[in-house]
Parts: sequence; structure tokens; C-alpha cells
Amino acid sequence: MKPKIKNKVRKKIVINPKIVFWGLTVFCVILIFVSYKFSDTFSSVKNVIGSVVAPMQKGINDLGDYLEEKVDHFSDMDELIEENKALKAQIDDLKNTNQILNQEKYELSYYRELYELDGLYDQYKKVAAKVISKDPNSYSGEFIIDKGESDGILKDMNVLAGNGLVGIVTQTGSNWARVRSIIDDSSKVSGMFLKTSDTCIVTGDLELIDKGYINVSQISLNAQIYDNYEVVTSYISDKYLPGILIGYVSDIGVDPTKLSQQCRLTPVVDFEHIDAVLIIIQLREQYDGISEVFKSDN
Amino acid sequence: MTVSVRFSRVIIRALFLIFGSFILYVLQTGLFSSFSLAGVVPDLLMILVVSVGFMRGRTKAMIAGLLCGFYIDCCYSSVMGIFPLLYIIVGNLAGFSHKIYDDDDHMTPLLLTAAGEFFYNIMYFVVFYLLQGKTNLSFYIYRIMIPRVVYTVLVSIILYRILKYTNLFLLRFDKEEV
Repeated sequence: MKPKIKNKVRKKIVINPKIVFWGLTVFCVILIFVSYKFSDTFSSVKNVIGSVVAPMQKGINDLGDYLEEKVDHFSDMDELIEENKALKAQIDDLKNTNQILNQEKYELSYYRELYELDGLYDQYKKVAAKVISKDPNSYSGEFIIDKGESDGILKDMNVLAGNGLVGIVTQTGSNWARVRSIIDDSSKVSGMFLKTSDTCIVTGDLELIDKGYINVSQISLNAQIYDNYEVVTSYISDKYLPGILIGYVSDIGVDPTKLSQQCRLTPVVDFEHIDAVLIIIQLREQYDGISEVFKSDN
Repeated sequence: MTVSVRFSRVIIRALFLIFGSFILYVLQTGLFSSFSLAGVVPDLLMILVVSVGFMRGRTKAMIAGLLCGFYIDCCYSSVMGIFPLLYIIVGNLAGFSHKIYDDDDHMTPLLLTAAGEFFYNIMYFVVFYLLQGKTNLSFYIYRIMIPRVVYTVLVSIILYRILKYTNLFLLRFDKEEV
């Protein structure tokens, strides 16, 4: 009989959920403050866990791509026919646009020469990487790529896709790295109008990117800028290499303070369907001594 | 029932929870980002936390919440502790529904998931948008919150059944051991 009684007693010893709740809450709040204060120590913990997760996510991601492809195969025949018609019409349109663009290309190469940007992209050493996971909180411009420190990637390296700027590496592990894209709310990039050399600040905005734009502000009132001017990363940025194309501006106007101009920018990168990126294996500090001059000024 | 049997049971359940939540996290960030609708992904971790709360009660839901939040923290947060806190609050609230738990009840967990996701998104908005001076709540609700709640609920119709059978399997396993 004795053990039975013991069992009953033991079963009744249950910790009150209320105590668990408050205990965990206090634990989390303390963790928030501690990890904020000692972020360096915590990053090593994150590194270890990230290195375990990265290969699995890579596999899952490949599976996802495969399934997506299969699902796409089953899309409706009618849809395809209709799309075909629309695309044929588009081809004519594009042929026309292409001709105009070809003409503009000559113009662009002329301007690049002017700014000694000619072939600058090609000189940077780049590493290709795949996007393996996106932020689980749908509306944030951060993602993780499958290359890390072992491939020579360091914090603050610039990330490209096609020929446009995607963002910057904010955290690295041995086989993964976190990238913050320029559309993220916390992203600020020092930009420059290619044609007029006027500087500006390109600020990410997840609300506006829904319509395909991000913000550009702090442009000098004297700047003579027009729609469709290119914005590239500026010479005075201490994290971004100069001359990387960000996008094209529109909706130019004076900002509410009447002290500067502001406008919208259409990025050249399609952020919704980003799956492969290029990382420039060169930090701004290595690029030239300019950044050091700026740092000493501060 | 000896102490060692009791202990091994706890270990088995813990392993199920740890690996289950880990798999869901990897699916949410990897697989489902290829299947995002209207730019949102379903919150599988929320479904897990709410289901555990409904099936097993407050304490276990809070432990599940702590785990899930911890995974997100490790890869996607500069400061640790915010996501566990959000999931723990949701787990605690969802755990109250354990009193009306019924094996064949598939409706309550759906409603709970919707409510939990809604609450989570509001808290997320307050922490990451409002405190940064972004006050456009209506945009956030229409563009992110509602699609996310709907997508999560749709996925939870299937996922809840899987979790329920896992739970029943674990319970049967316990009985066999006795």
C-alpha cells in the first residue's frame, strides 16, 4: 500500500502555472537586458546554433524550390495561353524599349567614364550565395544566406543581386550570414545621384516597398534632379563601396521642413523574388583611405 | 512507477517537443517562404504553442513558447528574449483552454490559433513598429496581420491534426510503459 500513497502524493506536486509564467517572464526580461548589454558573448551562442540550422535549412529550401517547380507545372493551360498572348504583346513593347535602352547604354558608359566608375563592379571580387531562409516575421527585410566566415564573408560586406545593391551583411557564422536589405526599416544608405553628384540618404521602408518604392531624403535644395535619375552608393559612405547602383528616382518634391528635397526610389533589385545574391569580398576600409579620414573627423 | 521510468518519459516528451518545434521552425523559414501568399508566411510555431496549450495545459505551452521564441532569437533577433516572451504570454493564455479539451474538438484550436496570432502580431507591431515611431496601424493590419492570421489558420487545420495524433501517440506510449 505504501508506494501507492507515495505516488498520489508525488502526482499532486505540480508547480503552479502562475509561478511558471512569472518566472519565465522575469527570465525573458532579464535576458533582453543582458543580451543587449553583452551582445558579443551572446553572438557566439547564436553562431553555434546558426551553424547547426544552416545546412538543414539549405536542404529544406531545395525541397521547397523543387515542390514549387512541380506545383507550377500544374498551373492551368488557359492561364498559360492567355499569358502567352500577353507576353507576345509585351515582346513588341520590349523590343521598342530595348532599342531606347541601348541608346541610353552609350550615354551611361560615358557618365561612368566621367566618374571613373568604368568597370568598377568587375574589379571587386565576389562570392555567390543562395538565400536559405527568410525572417519568420513576414515583414522584415532580413534573410540568411548559405555562405559564411569559412568563405571569407565578414560583417559589413556589401551584397548585390544582378547589378543592384541588395544590402549589407550584419552577422556571420561559420557557414551562414545574415543580410539586412536596403528595404528594411532600419536600413540607411548614403547615396549619390550619378549625374549631378548630389548626395542623399536612401532609407528603407517596408510600407512603401509594397508599392515598389523606398524613400530618398536630405537632397540639397539646389540639386537639379529629375525623374529616372540613377542613384548609386556614394563616396562618403563608410560601409558601402562607391558606385553600386541602387535604383531610379521619381516623385521629386520638397520635404516638410522646406530645407531639403525628397523623392522616391525604385530599386533595381526585385526583393520579393530574391534567391541568389553576390557578396563583394572587400570591405570599404580596404577600398581606400577615405573612410579613415572620415572616422578621424568624427 | 519508479523514478527512472518517470524520468525517461519526461525526456522522451522533451525530445519530441525540441525536435518538433525545430522542424516547424526550419519549415517556416525555409519551405514556406517559397509558398508565401501575399508576402506572408504562416506562423507554424504559433500553431504548435497554441495546440500544446490546448492539449497539455499552461505550463507545457509556456515551455514550448520559450523554445520556439529561442529559435527565432538565435537567427533573427539582435536582442534575445523578446520572441520567447511573446510566445510565453500566448502559451499561457492558450493554456487556460485545456479545461475544455476534447479529442474530437477541432474548432476551438483554430479559433485559439487565430486569436493567438492576432495577439502576437499586435505585440510585434507595438515592439518593432510603434516604438520606432511608425504608427500606420491600418496598413499593418490589412497588409500583414489579416493575411497572416488567415494563412496560419488554414495551415493549422492540417497541422493541428498531426500534432493531435502525435500527442495521442505519446499518451498511448505512456500507458504501455505503465
